[in-house]
Amino acid sequence: MTEGRFDCIKESQGSIKQEGKSFKGGHMKKILILSLACILVFGFMLSCAKKVEEAPPPPPQVKEQPEVEKVEEPAPPKEPELTEEEIFMRKSLEEINREAAIQMIHFDFDKFFIRDDAKPVLEKNAAWLKKWDSTQILIEGHCDERGTEEYNLALGEKRAKSTYDYLVSLGVSTNRIKTISYGKSQPIDAGQNEIAWAKNRRAQFTIIAK
Amino acid sequence: MKKKEIFLYGSLLLLVALLLPAQQEVYLSIKEGMPAIPLAIPPFIVHESSSKTQEAAEILHQTLSDDLKYSRIFQELPESYYSYIRPLNPKQIFFKDWESIQAKILFVGEISEDDGNNVVFEGKVYDVKAGRGIFGKRYQANQSLIRLAAHKMADELLRMWGEQPFFTSKIVFASNRDGNWELYMMDFDGHNQIRLTFNKVTDYMPAWSADGKKIAYTSYQGANAILYVLEIYEGKRHEVYSKGTSFAPAFSSDGRRLAFCSQEEGGNSEIYLATSEGKGIRRLTFNKGTDTAPTWSPTSRQIAFTSDRGGTPQIYVMDAEGSNVERVSFGGTYHDAPAWAPTGDRIAYVSRVDQIFDLYVLNLRTKQIIKLTEGSARNESPCWSPDSRHLIFSSNLNGTVQLYSIDYDGKNLRRLTSRGENKLPDWSR
Repeated sequence: MTEGRFDCIKESQGSIKQEGKSFKGGHMKKILILSLACILVFGFMLSCAKKVEEAPPPPPQVKEQPEVEKVEEPAPPKEPELTEEEIFMRKSLEEINREAAIQMIHFDFDKFFIRDDAKPVLEKNAAWLKKWDSTQILIEGHCDERGTEEYNLALGEKRAKSTYDYLVSLGVSTNRIKTISYGKSQPIDAGQNEIAWAKNRRAQFTIIAK
Repeated sequence: MKKKEIFLYGSLLLLVALLLPAQQEVYLSIKEGMPAIPLAIPPFIVHESSSKTQEAAEILHQTLSDDLKYSRIFQELPESYYSYIRPLNPKQIFFKDWESIQAKILFVGEISEDDGNNVVFEGKVYDVKAGRGIFGKRYQANQSLIRLAAHKMADELLRMWGEQPFFTSKIVFASNRDGNWELYMMDFDGHNQIRLTFNKVTDYMPAWSADGKKIAYTSYQGANAILYVLEIYEGKRHEVYSKGTSFAPAFSSDGRRLAFCSQEEGGNSEIYLATSEGKGIRRLTFNKGTDTAPTWSPTSRQIAFTSDRGGTPQIYVMDAEGSNVERVSFGGTYHDAPAWAPTGDRIAYVSRVDQIFDLYVLNLRTKQIIKLTEGSARNESPCWSPDSRHLIFSSNLNGTVQLYSIDYDGKNLRRLTSRGENKLPDWSR
């Protein structure tokens, strides 16, 4: 605030000096101009003084600037909530298969009967298949490397078929299941030990339609 | 009048033909254990010598020499013997010299180059004792085909001896060297390995047709393991059977029929029969057991196969119509992959004992069994050479599964493949 006042004085002095320089014409003119200048200076000083006295606190700067209105995106229309089925249908077959909704089961060496530990897995699988009743699956029968190529292809098919029979007995429709045998051509563990072999003797599921 | 006569004779002939009893399998025996014929193959004479003809001469000599050694018919004299006698002059051969180093047969090879930049390979075969030429043959080949020229020459030598030539035969097999299982083909000695199928799915278990122009195989197309016939020199493929998993194809030796396996409704593998074009499919076996791995007798009248109808997988033989089933393997609990030798007298198969697979050969006449391989590996999928003196099979004896060749008596084991894993060989006739 004090700074503002100082500026006023300085400026008025400057203006007197200028007037003085131009005083070289007639006397009257000189007086007239001088008086005019005096009035001007006085008036100016007055106005300055008045300012000092009456200067209200300057408005806060924010108020001096134009008010900014933030443009917000209008709320989009809200999508109706998806049903579980719609979410399912949106997924690709690869995604569904990757999520491994249907778990594989394992078999004993040289055997194709459904083991007791595989039954609850197949029950879960059957429940899933009944829930998503438009899906179709492929049961792949696999074997470990300790059987011959030809006999393993036949054994893999029997493993797929006994898995098929079990799912059908749990109420899954026959026209939704296909079977195939890979024999020992697609091991999931290349190891040559009991753990690897046990992993490789399996019936694996692929969802082929939804 | 004449027409009537012809008709009469014709029907008479037909009647006789029908009355004739079904012929027995004819067994040809190979002269096992006979001493090999001492053969001299001195280094080939190169005319208009250049680096090209020199190199060709070396390859031709090496290939011919390897073939004849592999045949087990001939035995090449050690090269050092040639330094004991006068150097070979093809214009004037001193047969007494060759007789003195125990040669019975002398092979004289001459190499030159023709105007078209082809290598010309001329071979003359002499009977040393009689002192005269037996036959001569001249081949003209471009540099890339000189091995084939040597194989053809070797075939001529076998033919001369009344043997079944096979040096230009091919092996088809499955390999995962380029990622997934695909079909490949190579010469009998492992050279010239080329790829036959190009896709992203598993192509498996190939089998040659009798004429060596078609291959039947299983291809995993989505939810189906389809049996196809591929005409390899036409690039055409047609579907034979797509129900269930269809596999283990085998063309009959007469080229007319194709046996293979597939599942009946119950998921049980059975043997089916089709024409060589894959038409007129009918089922051949009917029982609760697994029936698989058919292989034809050389006369195409019988089929040997694997069945576990008796509890464990064993080898059986039946008529090509499915009747007269007889078990032929005994003494083990797991037998599979029978391969009927082209001579008709033997069947090679795999026997599993304590997780070890070894190859055995059963002599159908004497019922004698020879164990062919000995080891702690899985030796599998035997197939016979056209002359029944050699077998090619797959084995993991060096870690990965590779193709090996072995002779009928268990000798001369040698490895043929190395890239990726290689298995399921079949030898063209």
